[in-house]
Amino acid sequence: MTDLAPDIGNRSKFTPKPDLPPPPNTTGVSGWLRYNLFNGVFNSILTALSIIAIFFMVKAFYEWAFVNAIWEASSRDECRISSTKIGTCWAGVNVWFTRFIYGRYADAEIWRINLAFIIFIIWMVPLWLPKITSKIFIGLSAVLIYPFLAGYMFLGGERGWFMEVMVALSLTCFLFVLIHSLLCLTTGLGLYGWIIKVSGFSKKNEHQHKYPVIGFTLLTVAVVAFLINDITFKYMSNNLWGGLFLTLVISGIAIASALPAGIILALGRRSKMAVIRVLCVAFIELFRSVPLITILFMATTMFPLFLPGGMVINKLASAIVAVCLFAAAYMAEVVRGGLQAIPKGQYEAAEAVGLTYWQATVLIVMPQALKFMIPNIVGNFMGLLKDTTLVSIIGLYDLLGMINAVSHDPKWIGLHHEPLFTAAVLFFIGCFAMSKYSQHLERSLGAGNNR
Amino acid sequence: MSLEAEKNTEQLKSAASDEVAIAMSKVNKWFGDFHVLKDIDLTVFKGERIVICGPSGSGKSTLIRCINRLEEHQNGDIIVNGTTLDSNLKNIHAIRSDVGMVFQSFNLFPHLTVLENCTLAPIWVKNFTKSEAEVTAMEYLERVKIPEQAAKYPGQLSGGQQQRVAIARSLCMNPQVMLFDEPTSALDPEMISEVLDVMFELAETGMTMLCVTHEMGFAKRVADRVIFMDFGEIVEQNTPEEFFENPKLDRTKLFLSQILSH
Repeated sequence: MTDLAPDIGNRSKFTPKPDLPPPPNTTGVSGWLRYNLFNGVFNSILTALSIIAIFFMVKAFYEWAFVNAIWEASSRDECRISSTKIGTCWAGVNVWFTRFIYGRYADAEIWRINLAFIIFIIWMVPLWLPKITSKIFIGLSAVLIYPFLAGYMFLGGERGWFMEVMVALSLTCFLFVLIHSLLCLTTGLGLYGWIIKVSGFSKKNEHQHKYPVIGFTLLTVAVVAFLINDITFKYMSNNLWGGLFLTLVISGIAIASALPAGIILALGRRSKMAVIRVLCVAFIELFRSVPLITILFMATTMFPLFLPGGMVINKLASAIVAVCLFAAAYMAEVVRGGLQAIPKGQYEAAEAVGLTYWQATVLIVMPQALKFMIPNIVGNFMGLLKDTTLVSIIGLYDLLGMINAVSHDPKWIGLHHEPLFTAAVLFFIGCFAMSKYSQHLERSLGAGNNR
Repeated sequence: MSLEAEKNTEQLKSAASDEVAIAMSKVNKWFGDFHVLKDIDLTVFKGERIVICGPSGSGKSTLIRCINRLEEHQNGDIIVNGTTLDSNLKNIHAIRSDVGMVFQSFNLFPHLTVLENCTLAPIWVKNFTKSEAEVTAMEYLERVKIPEQAAKYPGQLSGGQQQRVAIARSLCMNPQVMLFDEPTSALDPEMISEVLDVMFELAETGMTMLCVTHEMGFAKRVADRVIFMDFGEIVEQNTPEEFFENPKLDRTKLFLSQILSH
């Protein structure tokens, strides 16, 4: 104590030392370069060699893909004749590009696909905007109700009463999402609040607020159904569907159904009821242990053999079902992994306040578990998008099927590299976008949620 | 229950009302082969405040977790507010919405704000509207002295604050009985008193409380009855004055000397 006393005495008042800048060459671009690329003779040489190698590869690719490329030609032979050097023949891709995207869908009807796609984008946009409320409804309606509208727009033809109602409901939901988003952005009230306000129910008990909303919804559905009654689209058989469009239809349905099905299966696997547990385990293990291509062949070639004579199952439908079952089995294990990350105390706390099993699952467990699962779920979705190309083997003309078709076209016979490169770019765009979106989701969900 | 203990219970009854809140008779429970609760007989009267203590592994947590069926007892009867606890889910849910529980590790829902933590069960279990539930929640958050944290997430609060939110969350269900499972054991020393203060105030309102704790100061100040458990049995129970000043059994004396020695 006595030794320390004079020191402390001299500094009776504590003043912190001023902040100094870090030493130069450790920050900024030059610091990064020095630290990562040139920290020593050996690493500097490696860096130089790598730069040279990358330069030559990029140069070769650039010349192949752009400098020596032929953009306009009417056949592959013409491509060969017009250039002496080895270069790409983008002309083939150019001519076939519409087919890559839409398959054999009639040119005059392609606008339907585009419109359905644009509707989907507009439907989803509010999910990204911060001011919008009721995002769960918007997301769920896009997954559960939109497919009926899209299905009809793609297929066309006569509508039965069921499709009439579903298409009308779907359009109503779309209208509601639009109006709701606009109301949220301008007044901050939202459609639900607006209906209650206009109908004069705002002073009544909150339990009664649903009545004007239900009434308004039914009225709108009826009006929309009446308005679209006379509008029918030309029938486009699903044999004509193809290209990226078909890939997105199959993988979209599989992605949309995989998560709910996976959640059900995972909960079943953890169930205390033995029969349910055994069934779920059997399903998951069976579909996880068999390659997708086998399941596809079973669904499209073997399964029809067991059906009564004369009964025909659509090849596309059976392929979609097969992909969905396969995806569900994989997703179930991802979900189970997420569920295991939830501490037991969360279940106990939920039980202790009197929540039922389903309330606890939906309100407490799943929202937390899904956050843990996002990287794996999106990884699965990306795998699914790419695995969908396997349907080209059972004779469906998805993107890869159309790519192969080019090389069988007499005019472009043997043209493989360019179409495949195009497919690679398209898949990369899709998967990279998903990956980026998942990172964004992780960040935004993690924001207020640190434990 | 020994004759002595029965007599004690008769005397203690006068401290609270005559109505029985919880009646346990001949309750037995096993974890696998381990006999964790042995012939537990316990009657808790409305408004009574009971502190349960004992060495770890003595079954005190299991005892109170049986009351809202977080643990299932294998034989014996538990009657809570007149409802018999059996495998009937309806009875279990009825009892759970009447019995609040506070855990050692808080167990707040980390994905919900403090306010949402408090309104969730009233909305979904008691069918309150959102605004009704929020009014009640703010009332209780004020009682545990953290209304200003309502919009924050549990992860942004200190341990003591989290435990007070957990108490408010339970109170929002307007429970008849509150169970506390070592509510201060996971807290830093300087946060223990803020939680005990809240529990003390709650005790003053006449809430029926069963509290597993090692806070003997709290027991002396608040409890109507202290129960000492060991090896899955109720070894001794008495008023805090008698229990601490004049323990009957050697086992109790040893335990008290161990926890009160410093």
